[in-house]
Amino acid sequence: MTEAPQYMVVGAILFGLGLAGFLSRRNLIVMFLCTEVMLQGVLVNLVALGRQTGNYRGQAFAMFLLVIAAVEAALALALVILLFRRKGTLDAEAWRTLRG
Amino acid sequence: MGLLAGYWLYGIIALGAAGLYLASPRGRERSAWAGGIVALAAVALLLVELARRFQPGGPINGYFYSLAAVAILAAGRVVTHPRPVYAALYLVVVVLAVAGLLLLLDAEFLAAALVIIYAGAILVTYVVVIMLAQQPGAPQYDWQAREPAAAVTGSFVLTAAIAGAISNRTWSSPAAVRSLTDSNTLAVGNELLSTYAVALELAGVLLLVAITGAILIALKRPGSEASSASASREDRR
Repeated sequence: MTEAPQYMVVGAILFGLGLAGFLSRRNLIVMFLCTEVMLQGVLVNLVALGRQTGNYRGQAFAMFLLVIAAVEAALALALVILLFRRKGTLDAEAWRTLRG
Repeated sequence: MGLLAGYWLYGIIALGAAGLYLASPRGRERSAWAGGIVALAAVALLLVELARRFQPGGPINGYFYSLAAVAILAAGRVVTHPRPVYAALYLVVVVLAVAGLLLLLDAEFLAAALVIIYAGAILVTYVVVIMLAQQPGAPQYDWQAREPAAAVTGSFVLTAAIAGAISNRTWSSPAAVRSLTDSNTLAVGNELLSTYAVALELAGVLLLVAITGAILIALKRPGSEASSASASREDRR
């Protein structure tokens, strides 16, 4: 029977991988794909801790996290399409002027 | 060996970070093979370290180690692949591997929901949007990462801190689950509809607001849309 910490380390590594991708990629859609990878890591972490505690709270939390992930994906992709129509490119650097 | 035993995990995560940096898209002609091999070695060492630290002499669960390896390597490929469609497909692999890990944790309903909702709806949406919003050829922003060294270093520090905090404490054995005779779907459904009923209703409202918002955001307005589209076409010429 594997214990919670092994799953949590895997979740932490998935989160770190998603973070590295989010910071380094320039394609807007791939940046959001990396946030989805981060959410996978969080899912593993939540369910592992729920299993450790012995109740179903972790899994209920994870269900709501799925809802939030779906909502975030829909809105993020709508915004990406809007931004693509404005500038004709998916490059995040095209919006560099936001940095001031 | 006794003095360094606590630091193996950090070294392995550092090796994985080096593999991730080598595999990052840093130019049109660079391939990710060198980084891939380093990352593979890092994942193998990670699994050995996890087995050594958390299950000394106990039963080895082959399913966990293979699923974890697939999830981590596919997530590494999502993050480093220069073509967005392949990144989305590797994310499907990650979702399936995570669903397998959830099955190992006795979360059957969540595993099925993950495959149906995530791999079946959200990632299909991503692939369709990638199809709709792409530029011909290989644009530079796909094969050139932005400051990969800084990104990999920052994420290495965070991951090492979290993994260190997880492993540097004594973990008790998992508590017995409340009712092992109920099916998991029944138990999770019970929990959602009794303890979290208000949150469930709010989640429904949130989904409705998101659907409306997404449609409104991406709606093409006849007047302003034509002028901005022609303006962007003139800029590109």
